Formats: sequence, structure tokens, C-alpha cells
Amino acid sequence: MVTIQLFGMTKMLAGNRGTLSLSLHDGKRVKDLVSVIDAAYPKIGELLQKKKVLVSVNQEIAHEDLEVKDGDEIALLPPFAGGNR
Amino acid sequence: MSLEQVTKADRPATDDDAMLVRVQREDFSIDEELTRVRRRSKRIGGIATFLGTARDRSKGKDVDGITFEHYEGMAQKKLREIRERAIKDFGVIEVLVLHRYGEITIGENIVLIIAAAEHRAEAFRACQWAIDELKQITPIWKLEHTPEGEVWVEEHP
Repeated sequence: MVTIQLFGMTKMLAGNRGTLSLSLHDGKRVKDLVSVIDAAYPKIGELLQKKKVLVSVNQEIAHEDLEVKDGDEIALLPPFAGGNR
Repeated sequence: MSLEQVTKADRPATDDDAMLVRVQREDFSIDEELTRVRRRSKRIGGIATFLGTARDRSKGKDVDGITFEHYEGMAQKKLREIRERAIKDFGVIEVLVLHRYGEITIGENIVLIIAAAEHRAEAFRACQWAIDELKQITPIWKLEHTPEGEVWVEEHP
């Protein structure tokens, strides 16, 4: 079971939940995590596929092939909004 | 003089590196932050500041207020990286990076960058780079409150 922190629009798309708890059965890479999220929350899944929402592991943006380990801090990061220049 | 007094005099608790990179709910005083940076070195001869404030229009729509959300831990980590890289890459003496979160009223302060150098050219360069980089890599999100509802802002330059 992994816990994923949600922020901004991803929190809204998950019904205003701050975290998701998911079980990874088929593989433990970031892309497997994305598949599980896609099945449960298709709107967030679509944003992940389009790379509009990124996955961070231990406070760094993660590559899809990175393996997720027990105790890792995982979050979904929607586009950062600093405003226009 | 007691040991406690010696320690306080040697290293004021409010003046350590942690105070130069902050994500906080409360407003800040630009004068106090400038003083904090100026105290760091007598070599400083030029200081550039960027202050971001909450405006009442966005993409042609009225905005009544803004709420900022941040990823606690990662936001501070990215701001620390920005400070360290600005000092290393631009040859400035000190950089302060401060961002607020929570509900912000129109007209209030949001973000402050202070870059202090021996001369103005590197201070300006470091200051501009730091605010641009902040917007690219810092996990902070903006929810605009408009008469039509709330919108998570997703664009940056």
C-alpha cells in the first residue's frame, strides 16, 4: 500500500481528498502507479499521461521507470502556478 | 556575562540561514527582510528586490482573492536550492527567498526575492533568475477566487 499526497487541482479531482492510498500489484515502478491511478481516477490519469501532472518521489520529480519503495514520499504535482511574467 | 548571553550575541537565533528561505502564512516586512540581508556582509554594495503582489485581474477576469497551497518540505527544499544556486552561479553575496501561503487579499504581498551583491549588475541578474526559477520548480499552487467561482491557475511563462 502506498500513500500519495495530492495538491491543487488533483485534490479537487479526487473529491477533495488530500491523500490516496493505493495497492500496487503489477509492478512497483512510477508508471505502474500511474496505471493504478488511471483506473481509479481517470481524470487524474489523463493529466498524468499528458505530463500535465507529474509524480514526485521523495520530493524530486520522478521518471516513469523509477521503482517505488516502502516508505517513499510520493505526491502528484499539478502545474506550478507562479503567474505571468 | 552568562553563557546564554554569549551564545545569543554570537549567533542571533533570528539570523540563521533558515530565515533566508521561508514559506509562511503571515505577511512580511520588506524593511525587516532587507535589514536581515544587509547584516550578512559589509561587502554588499547593491541590492535588487522583487516583490510579487496579488492583483485583481487575471486573464481579463476579476479576482477577489487568492489562496496559495504549497507542498510542505519540497517547497522549502526547492527554495533552498534556488538560493544556493543563485549565490554560486551569479557571484552574489546573499539571497533571500520568501513566499506566503494561505489566503491572500488583493494588494497584499505574496513573494519576495532579495539579491545582494558587491555591484548592481549581478544583483539584478540573480534576482531575475531566482523569481523565474521559483515559478518553474517550486511546488506552490494558486487558487483564484473570481465572481464565477474558484480556478486553479496553471500557466506560467
